[in-house]
Amino acid sequence: MSGMDQLALVLERIANTSSRNRKIDLLATWMHELADADLGRAARFLSGEPVAGAAGGKLSVGHSILRESALAVIRIDIELFRICHREVGDTSETIGLLLRGKTICNPLSLESAEQGYLRLLSHRKTAGKVATLSALLEQMRPLTAKYFLKVITGNFRIGLQRKLVEEALAKATGAKLTAVRDASNRTGDLAQVAHSARHGSLETLEARLFHPMEFMLARPLDEIADLDDPENWYVEDKYDGIRSQVHFENGKVQIFTRGLADTSKSLPDIVEPFSRLGGKAVIDGELLAYRNGRALNFTVLQQRLARKVVSKDLIGEVPVVFVGYDLMYRNGQLLLDSPIEVRRKLLEDLFQGLSMPFLVSPQRPLVSHGDVEQSFLDARSRGNEGLLLKRKGSLYEAGKRSLNWCKVKRPYGTLDVVVTAAEQGTGRRATMLSDYTFAVRDGERYLNVGKAYSGLTDDEIRELTKLFRSISREKFGRVTVVEPQVVLEVAFDGVRKSPRHKSGYALRFPRIVRWRKDKTVAEIDGLARVKELYERSLA
Amino acid sequence: MQLQYSSDGIHIPDVDLWLDPQVSKPTAWISHAHSDHARYFSKTVIGTSVSLEIYRMRWPEDVNQPQTLTPLNYGEAMDWNGARLTCLPAGHILGAAQLLIEFRGERLVYTGDLKLEAPLCGVKTQIVPCDQLIIESTFGLPIYHFLSCQEAREEIVGFAKECLDDGATPAFLGYPLGRGQEIVHALSKAGLPVAVHGAIAKYIPVYERHGYDFPGWMPYEARNVQGKALVVVPGMRRLLESSGKDIRVAYVSGWASLDNARLRANAEKLIPYSDHGSYAELIEMVEGTGARQVDVVHGYTDEFAGILRSRGIEAQAPAISRLRSAEEDAE
Repeated sequence: MSGMDQLALVLERIANTSSRNRKIDLLATWMHELADADLGRAARFLSGEPVAGAAGGKLSVGHSILRESALAVIRIDIELFRICHREVGDTSETIGLLLRGKTICNPLSLESAEQGYLRLLSHRKTAGKVATLSALLEQMRPLTAKYFLKVITGNFRIGLQRKLVEEALAKATGAKLTAVRDASNRTGDLAQVAHSARHGSLETLEARLFHPMEFMLARPLDEIADLDDPENWYVEDKYDGIRSQVHFENGKVQIFTRGLADTSKSLPDIVEPFSRLGGKAVIDGELLAYRNGRALNFTVLQQRLARKVVSKDLIGEVPVVFVGYDLMYRNGQLLLDSPIEVRRKLLEDLFQGLSMPFLVSPQRPLVSHGDVEQSFLDARSRGNEGLLLKRKGSLYEAGKRSLNWCKVKRPYGTLDVVVTAAEQGTGRRATMLSDYTFAVRDGERYLNVGKAYSGLTDDEIRELTKLFRSISREKFGRVTVVEPQVVLEVAFDGVRKSPRHKSGYALRFPRIVRWRKDKTVAEIDGLARVKELYERSLA
Repeated sequence: MQLQYSSDGIHIPDVDLWLDPQVSKPTAWISHAHSDHARYFSKTVIGTSVSLEIYRMRWPEDVNQPQTLTPLNYGEAMDWNGARLTCLPAGHILGAAQLLIEFRGERLVYTGDLKLEAPLCGVKTQIVPCDQLIIESTFGLPIYHFLSCQEAREEIVGFAKECLDDGATPAFLGYPLGRGQEIVHALSKAGLPVAVHGAIAKYIPVYERHGYDFPGWMPYEARNVQGKALVVVPGMRRLLESSGKDIRVAYVSGWASLDNARLRANAEKLIPYSDHGSYAELIEMVEGTGARQVDVVHGYTDEFAGILRSRGIEAQAPAISRLRSAEEDAE
């Protein structure tokens, strides 16, 4: 067995344990023994880069090339391949399974694997790629083939996140985990990080643009009173948009979102203005659908981003802005370790004099607890989600849900509703009716607007289960339809249109506030109220 | 030999014999004791002593439905309505058997559920030449490859040790008859403390009487799982998961050949080992018998029959609906 075979074996073992420590141990133990060049290759393969600087997609080896190359070795008809693929669900795995007994099983080193990837990259034509790949597969162990292909398709599907590879690297090289994480975050290049980690030179790695960096995240603040020192904080609105990171340098622009995916293609109206800015920077902010000085409903933005073709009409219909609120990098300088005041000053300088679609999130020092209250109401009246509080003097803690950023969100509203159906729960609540579909009144009818799972105590659920069983109308499997009697107060984050419910509306993130034993079904809210809340959210 | 397929099962009218009928018939051959093969109250039931013993445990005597149980063990033969019936081992679970039917110079073999390699508890299947073969194809696609019983034993024991070392509780989910006992056997023989759910433990004495030992296993008790490997029925999963203990689930099954089993079975460890034959074993079986005509009756019937035809064997997938129990790999 050689390097790539071992990598396949290690990955297969990692898939078969849920213990994070064991996963890290397995990977670190193997990496520790690798020579420098192989360590770099391994780290790169694990981050889905078969070739330096090129993600798997760059090889232009899609499902049909994979299948054709494999079939040349496996020699079964394509219909049988399709049936097998349907059962397995993953192309690389299907091929690995079908190659059993059909290959020569020569060892494959990491270096040869890399050369194979390079050859695939160098061929422009499909036929060349197919011939190259089948020649490679013919020589491989089936398990090695599975993972060799997964590096190309970029989908390990075994819970091997980047963070885990970083931890394994730290463990394998003896470098500090925080140093490895920081270097990985600023360079995005695990191969280089691996090399530097082993040779104690992580600090010398310079920041690089156009790879997604980790965002700093905020903790929720449940009670305003929990904030013990209001005067040590800044306050900004919290926007109901898409958290984004814009990288730009000399006309080149890339936008990454929380999933760390590149969404630049669907945002020409943002990319173009950034391409005209001078210098280079990484800005943290929010994409918002925005018209007449107000943010539009989140779903409007989501629908726009889902569209593949971005026409002028669409851009006119749903204008998008970028609200900047932090600066992570500017002109050769990584700013994560600079205090918020410095970053904010540079951000304001950068956005100075720019017009739409650029906005800077207004920020001011907080005065008192009462100030939080008032600011929150103001933010809501501006159509924003709530507040973001940032501690004075704080640093940008990439990838952390830090105590130095707090978000203040409150329910959008509450409604009194009646339970129309109760469903058997899962896990601890498997024997109880714990999931409730609830409705509002519309004349004589009750129309469902959502379903809630949480908020009641086990004792209350037990009591309700008994009650629901006694007022059961009909049973469908796990669901019991009940007489509309039990009134609940539910909180939620918004109202959206929904074809799923007869009412035409659904509450966003509903949760049960309390069981209103004091109320009868005659006193619940009506559909008119739901409509009103929906329209308010559009205004 | 003429065969009739229906939702009642497979009937051989020439000798009036039913193979694994789904309802009560005058005469039934039961290939093994899983409840989708041995069920209800046929008047005469032929099968191996083990199969009959377990069948009786599951379908206790009913005075209103008098029955004759006729044992036919591996290597034994009997005459039946002008045919000669010979019992051959089938590997699948303890007592599982194939039936060779010789009638007017023709040889028909009905495999029942089949594993070619010797299972952890049981014997190796015998391949006998025949003209006509009725075979199952639970894993009749070339993506299914299984561990040998030795490898499976090592994986089962290895996983249990690893979990116990971590202070976690390994849990193996197994159906009441077959897999469950094999796992308990592997674990207890390795000297590991094993707690066994009652539905599985119930059949351990039968296995013991046939020469398999289970040193030191104990009954499963919800309050006493720490430091033990658990072998329980799949329905226990939720209870275990809600116990607040660090439970790690291993899935021992033919379906564990595919990574998607991890999600489907909600298990972290996949051990691809089955009481059915792998694709390669099924092919070996078919080709080994030299049968001219093959009927594929369970699993990927159309696909497997197609594969056989592409290999030059006359094969078909007769329309037959067999009840599936929750007890075998075809869950």
